[in-house]
Amino acid sequence: MAVIRDMMPAFELFQPTSVDEALDVLERHDNTWVLAGGLDSMDWFKDRIKRPDVVVELGSVSELTGIRASGDGIEIGAMTSLRDVVASDDVRSRFGLLAQAAAEVATPQIRNQGTLGGNLIQDTRCWYYRGGWPCYRAGGNICYAGTPRSMNREHAVTGQSRCVAVNGADTAGALVALGAQMMVRSAGGERVYEAEDFFVGPEIDIERMTVLEPGDLLTHVRIPGDWADARFYWEKVRDRKSWDWALASVAAAIVESNGTIERARIAVNGVAPTPVRLTDVENLVQGMPANDDTGMAAGELATRGFKPLRHNDYKVPLARNLVRRAVRGDAA
Amino acid sequence: MEILRTAPNPWGQEVLVGVAWDLLWAAAIAGFLFVVGHHLYVWIMAPKAPKTAPEPAPEVPERVERHSQASRTFHWLMAATMLTLLVTAFFPVIGVQFAWVTIHWIAGIVLTLLIIWHIIHASTKQDFWSVWTGTKEIGQAFQAVGKFLRREPAKEERSGKYPLDQRAYHNAVTLVSFGVIVTGILMMFGVDTWFWASNPYFLSDSTWGLVFVLHGLCGVGLVTMVIAHIYFAIRPEKRWMTRSMIKGWITREEYLEHYDPDLWKLGTEPAGAELAGGSASSADADGVVPA
Amino acid sequence: MALIGQDISPPDLRAKVTGRAKYAEDFRAEGMVFAKLLLSPMPHARVRSVDASRALAMPGVLGILRASEVNQPEAPGEAALTDEPKYVGEPILALAAVDETTAADAIEAIDIDLEPLPFAIDPLDSLRPGGPDARLDGNVMRFGDSGRELVSLKWPQTEFDAAEAEGRLPMGEPTDEWDHGDLDAAFAEADYVLEDTIVHQSLTHHPMEPRSSMAYWEDGRCYLYGSTQSTQRAHQAMASQLDLEPGELVFVGQYCGGGFGSKIAGVPIYQVTALLARKIQRPVMMRINRYEENYIGRARPGFQAWTKMGFRRDGKITGIDLYIIQDHGPYGRSGDYNTAGAVTDLMYQPDAMRFRGLTLYTNTPPRSAQRAPGGAQIVAMLEPLVDKAARELGIDRVEIRKINAPTHDSEFGPGRATTTSAFVREAIEAGAEQFDWAGKQALSGQRNGTKVTGVGVGLSPYVGGSSGFDGLLLIRPDGKLYIHQGIGNLGTHSMADTARAAADELGLEWDDCAVIWGDSSQHHPYSSVQAGSQTIHAHTRANYAAALDMKRKLQEVAAAALGGSASAYRVEGARVTGPGGSLSFAQAAERAIAMGGEYSGQELPEDINDYTRASATQLAGQGLMGVARDNFSHEGSTWSWVVGFAVVELDTETGDVRIVDYTGSADCGIVVHPRSLAAQIHGGSVQGFGQARSQKWVFDPKWGVPFAHRLYTARPPGILDVPLSMDWAAAGEPDPQTPIGAKGIGEPPVGAGSAAVTSAIADALDGRCLCRVPLTTDVILAELEGRAQPHALTEIHS
Repeated sequence: MAVIRDMMPAFELFQPTSVDEALDVLERHDNTWVLAGGLDSMDWFKDRIKRPDVVVELGSVSELTGIRASGDGIEIGAMTSLRDVVASDDVRSRFGLLAQAAAEVATPQIRNQGTLGGNLIQDTRCWYYRGGWPCYRAGGNICYAGTPRSMNREHAVTGQSRCVAVNGADTAGALVALGAQMMVRSAGGERVYEAEDFFVGPEIDIERMTVLEPGDLLTHVRIPGDWADARFYWEKVRDRKSWDWALASVAAAIVESNGTIERARIAVNGVAPTPVRLTDVENLVQGMPANDDTGMAAGELATRGFKPLRHNDYKVPLARNLVRRAVRGDAA
Repeated sequence: MEILRTAPNPWGQEVLVGVAWDLLWAAAIAGFLFVVGHHLYVWIMAPKAPKTAPEPAPEVPERVERHSQASRTFHWLMAATMLTLLVTAFFPVIGVQFAWVTIHWIAGIVLTLLIIWHIIHASTKQDFWSVWTGTKEIGQAFQAVGKFLRREPAKEERSGKYPLDQRAYHNAVTLVSFGVIVTGILMMFGVDTWFWASNPYFLSDSTWGLVFVLHGLCGVGLVTMVIAHIYFAIRPEKRWMTRSMIKGWITREEYLEHYDPDLWKLGTEPAGAELAGGSASSADADGVVPA
Repeated sequence: MALIGQDISPPDLRAKVTGRAKYAEDFRAEGMVFAKLLLSPMPHARVRSVDASRALAMPGVLGILRASEVNQPEAPGEAALTDEPKYVGEPILALAAVDETTAADAIEAIDIDLEPLPFAIDPLDSLRPGGPDARLDGNVMRFGDSGRELVSLKWPQTEFDAAEAEGRLPMGEPTDEWDHGDLDAAFAEADYVLEDTIVHQSLTHHPMEPRSSMAYWEDGRCYLYGSTQSTQRAHQAMASQLDLEPGELVFVGQYCGGGFGSKIAGVPIYQVTALLARKIQRPVMMRINRYEENYIGRARPGFQAWTKMGFRRDGKITGIDLYIIQDHGPYGRSGDYNTAGAVTDLMYQPDAMRFRGLTLYTNTPPRSAQRAPGGAQIVAMLEPLVDKAARELGIDRVEIRKINAPTHDSEFGPGRATTTSAFVREAIEAGAEQFDWAGKQALSGQRNGTKVTGVGVGLSPYVGGSSGFDGLLLIRPDGKLYIHQGIGNLGTHSMADTARAAADELGLEWDDCAVIWGDSSQHHPYSSVQAGSQTIHAHTRANYAAALDMKRKLQEVAAAALGGSASAYRVEGARVTGPGGSLSFAQAAERAIAMGGEYSGQELPEDINDYTRASATQLAGQGLMGVARDNFSHEGSTWSWVVGFAVVELDTETGDVRIVDYTGSADCGIVVHPRSLAAQIHGGSVQGFGQARSQKWVFDPKWGVPFAHRLYTARPPGILDVPLSMDWAAAGEPDPQTPIGAKGIGEPPVGAGSAAVTSAIADALDGRCLCRVPLTTDVILAELEGRAQPHALTEIHS
């Protein structure tokens, strides 16, 4: 069979108007695919690598869009566009970290079309995997990106387990730092995951990025009020200032009092197959002054044990410095 | 049912990738069907041979040691690692997700070391060939099959220390274990370990495919074998064997009933291991194939 | 001059902004079907067999086209389809079906068996003893006594060992070598000598419009719609590729969504639509997607280079030794590396110089000229080294460039050529003033938190004009001047801007002029390729020549009609007026038709090109014709210059770089169209920013498969990578060797943008030169942190 790319094959399209209807379609068919903004999906379809028979497009499910108050926090529908997340007063005023991260996703056009849910569950951008190579993540038995000669400048420096791909979701780190929860529905009912447990590394499941299994829908993201109005730090370093994934990013929520860190929640992304919550760093900085010394210690601790590949050693100092800046309290 | 999985390599050539996990279910179902079939056979159809009381033999001690402490320790350690390997290999396949890779390869190394120990032990301290099938055993096998087909009463032939069924099982397990271990060691080059960083180009992609296929086939084969093994271990007429693997000994009566003293001569094995079972892998726990 | 020097609206503007402009893939024809390509998945292979029976049996599939059915040029030429693909993505066959979905499904249903062959991705791998050759007939082309020959060139292991020990580029036997002056003496005289190995990446052109095409046949004539930089030349080239007489082919290419050198004339893949259309007797459209464009869309060759430069205490460069290994792709022979040698010699004017180099065939996509081919690479590589010397010698960086810049009579290159003019110092001064070099210099090294400011300057020359082409003008009885333009329309406005020379000479308002372009059935004159920044020079001249011819004819027509001597008649205000009265251009056109002969194009000058003759013959009798060859003198080669000035902010903790300010200043002769010049300077410089910072190729070395085959993985610069403030200036001095005084300007801005940024980054790093392009975040951060560089010294596709 010859290979052809960049030309979408046909599939059956469903456009349900409710979550129940969507779940029903997913339940009734095999080889399904849930389509949100389509920015990740279309790449896969066009390259004919992921070939669903049935595509369930959620654009008409109104219960999945919108931002509303929920307890002391907010709840964001998974189909809410990134643009709406960025523009939301609720998000900006209390959870600015998410607004900052969402604002740096790709381009304005993509943020208009792309959704929060889609951004979170996007597949990795490992170019070996996305090139259709039969790697572990694609069900094969080699990680082509992890060899001593591979082109892995963008790949993982930690959390590798056979696969060395990284999570590319900008909003993921921010939501981990905000202590968000992911609400997932399937025919079997609703499950709620802490943001950091929502993402799955290759050591656990090498073919998935999140806990979502066929038949599951991420419906909402709930952000509790715990970190509202904390000092936030977001930074994404990339090769181009638009339409580019992070080489590394940091998202931090830090509560300070008189220059001393009372509590912190910090995540880095772009360095591992999942966003990495830095619990040790959070513990370390508690009670310490927010300055460069603390930042440096935090950065060193964050990157301890990082195992760079052939071309990505720079990510070690990069992640270290990003954590350092977040803790130090640079103006984001 | 899909048996093997292929995928286009980076150059678009179809290469083997591994076994299809449908095979796991096939193996489990095969094991289950064997268990059910054998149970029904024994329960309903198997002709009962009259039990004859063995001649008294006061020279045989009250308790005959069948498995030495070392052999038993080996057996149970190996059983634990084997189960660990199977659980870490197959639970993720059936949807129970956890970080299995490191546990799996560590268990694999433990198993390999145990088997190396076993080979040395068996060849120095035990009658190495006592558990292998030779021409004589193959002849016995034909006879047994003939009897089965003629539906003659399955009067149990008294055997040497390891009866035919145990020997056959041991051989099969040896072969399959050898397969998983050799392929498993090769696969270690595909993961980061304490000893080296992964180098997936250690083998070509098609060779990797073969390695994964062999590993997968042996692995699912072990599933069937282990099911059968555990089944016999808990069958009532084999429990004396299971007990011997726990406590080490069999009774004089059991010895005389099941063994031909000419073939298993007490006190003739190398010193210190005269009664040791020590058979390779899990074979010596019990009988296997219905006589 | 009324029009030259003014901002005008080009005639294609309205169509472009309203969406009425038709690009190649916008055309439709009755019964049109679609074609898709089967691309090679291997970097080098031989097609053992193709079984298309399943595909051809699918409903809606109309046929396939194999390599055996297209023109197969002599080695190392490139065919549109091949049975020995030499890079991943090379088209092997094409298939036509009623729609693209069917065509793609059918391609998948083709069983193809390929035999992998040895391949080379890195030129140096191919030069190692026993290393692979990218082609079965060798890895280099050499010009020997018996003409050109393809050979397998290997260097001894000892050279590789020595290079590794010395931490430099291996430099064995080159295929090209020239020198002038006494190099040893030059280095002996130098007060400061530097020596570095420098790597420059390859870059795909990635124009917005991919090379889509549509074709059909009618009465034995082929109608081909494609995207091209140069319509008339594309018409000729495609006719030749299709073995047709020019009269048997109509080529339409009115709008071109960018080319940057990748669509100069003939585009091989256009053969496929034409030949498929003939084979299946249906109009065929082949829309090339971005993925395919990445492979077949051409690329700039990368360099692995080494240089040694000697400087006198006063900043004068005494000697340059330059060695370039060029990464070529599998076909043809690009001269970038040789041009780079000439550019180096021209711009630094060393007392002595040696150039050595060779170009290696590799199993990577084919190269072609890309905006300042050779020049853009070498200036980005060398300018930071000149900075390094300036810093070492305590000389202002702008000053050191002026010290070494050529003058009007400077010589350069292997043949010791001269230039028509060199207002380099003037351009530098104009730019430095506009940019406020003195003021901005003070920002150099300034720290703001973790950010440090770097200020850079990069000088970039490139060829700016050719001559000897034809102009073809017609005044029809409607009184309008029809300016037939064989050059293309790729957004540079030269199709309109070069027409002004004729309009001005005939004293016409722009509204009285109609530019005819982009369709060979509309009769174009023989024209230059719209590349190498030739057109503004070549076609202001050609149109000026034709306008002079037309002016004479107007005078003679008026004199014949109204009496008196022709020379007594003046041409102005769309009239020809003299002692006997006045004729409008409309009247003159009618008179000319009546007079026939040369006036209406029945008789044509001897020296025009046959192509022009054929076009003029078609137009004969329709009005008053002005047609002439550009015979104006042109001594020396024409070079334009851009100097770029950049301010960057470099974050010392992340390696991130933001370009915050940029000014480009040109020596392009007189300014024909200020707004268009600004667009060229800025647009080209932005392309240079991408070259300096982000855009590159990445290949897996084990499989020879590229990854940067999407825009987002290739990373050309986006709008946020461009400073908010971008300025421009021009020396504005007319080139004395051309009557209009204008030189081309498309090419040099790229190198200026790239060099100014590499220079500014080095400045932000206290003058440390990283000797690699692009200077990505990882490279910079590794340097800042004192960690091992992510790329090996000569690694070129990482």
